[in-house]
Amino acid sequence: MAGKIKQMIDTLITLRAKDNAMLVGIIKTKLMLKGIDSNKFTAQSADNPVLIGKLEALLKEL
Amino acid sequence: MSIKTAFSLNPDPQNAVADIRTQLQDFDPKLIVFFASSSLAPDEIAERMEAAFPTAETFGCSTAGEITTGKMLTKSIVAMAFNRQAIKNSKVEVLEDLDKESYRAFNAFQRHFNKPMKEMDPKQYVGIILVDGLCRKEELIMDKMGDLTNVNFIGSSAGDDLKFESTYVFANGKSYNHAAVLAILEPATDITFVKTQSFRELPQKLTVTKANEFTREVYEFNGKPAAVAYAEALGVSVEEAPKRFMHNPVGLVFEGEPFVRSPQQIKGDTMLFYCSVKEGMELSLLESTDIIASTKQSLDAARSELGGISGVINFNCILRTLELNQKGLSDEYGKVFEGVPTVGFSTYGEQYIGHINQTATLLVFR
Repeated sequence: MAGKIKQMIDTLITLRAKDNAMLVGIIKTKLMLKGIDSNKFTAQSADNPVLIGKLEALLKEL
Repeated sequence: MSIKTAFSLNPDPQNAVADIRTQLQDFDPKLIVFFASSSLAPDEIAERMEAAFPTAETFGCSTAGEITTGKMLTKSIVAMAFNRQAIKNSKVEVLEDLDKESYRAFNAFQRHFNKPMKEMDPKQYVGIILVDGLCRKEELIMDKMGDLTNVNFIGSSAGDDLKFESTYVFANGKSYNHAAVLAILEPATDITFVKTQSFRELPQKLTVTKANEFTREVYEFNGKPAAVAYAEALGVSVEEAPKRFMHNPVGLVFEGEPFVRSPQQIKGDTMLFYCSVKEGMELSLLESTDIIASTKQSLDAARSELGGISGVINFNCILRTLELNQKGLSDEYGKVFEGVPTVGFSTYGEQYIGHINQTATLLVFR
């Protein structure tokens, strides 16, 4: 389903940032350093199983 | 005064620590961070600092040069002491074996502060990390800690005066290698973080198409041998390219902010970096600018943000120090911190959010 990566990234940021706007930037930077550029994905982005796996692992840790 | 600094150029650890103790004699410290030249025996310096300040937690590391208020030094020990007006609460822990994943330190923090690391408010707490500078595990540690907590850790990799033999971190009166020291502080005053790197982004892009992130090697950029692609981006031969490393590193640029990755050497067609890069990362070629001007600007911005500065811990990359030395600007860099209680050192890598190179990461107290 297209857009799953963006949805997972948005969920991760929301859960980690917990309404703290300053944290959003830091969490996005942490993702970037993991090789995940949150700004590059949209609701139309194709799924990437490797990336989805990485995001699932991060969400599981939460 | 809630923060006080001291330094000693005495080459004997016993006398150097006694000197520090004398300078801090009217101060009741709760926490002391210190940075010591590798010319001072690490076991002895750690033990004597702990013994000299029995009411304080002491921690620190070995260096490739030291920084204190208004000066850059070598073969010295510098120390910053915090009393209870500066730090409400603190805990220092050691990750003793970086090859083993260990939650022991985090469990200790959770017991001390009586809350899970996941719930510690980054507005209330700040972390300092000092890591063995030769372990090549800084990226993994920062990545793991970043997953486990929102507390911001700032710090650096220990040095050994450019010998590249053994670096040490200090805590509990001991010295450790292949280890990291983590400290979590609850400051009693506002703090801010500064990450300053003196580079502009150039239009040339180098996408990592083949790499080993664990050995920090890049085999290919843009589908070409890494050394060839880097040299082409610069418009020089592969033989000339190493001379440009300091002036033209590469950076992962995110929302305008570069996270510098400095080339270390070329081995055949492969490039070895001082920091890991992942396959798929798009890196920008960078060009160095004015270290003095950009550091001053960053410090002034921090001062405006906080409304004043009572202390700075400056983790300044050794590559910046070497560039400053080459240009005869070390004194001028020291003077950027004149009148501001400062300690710091020349590092083998810096940490803020992740592991980075050719950067100064500063923890600034109001």
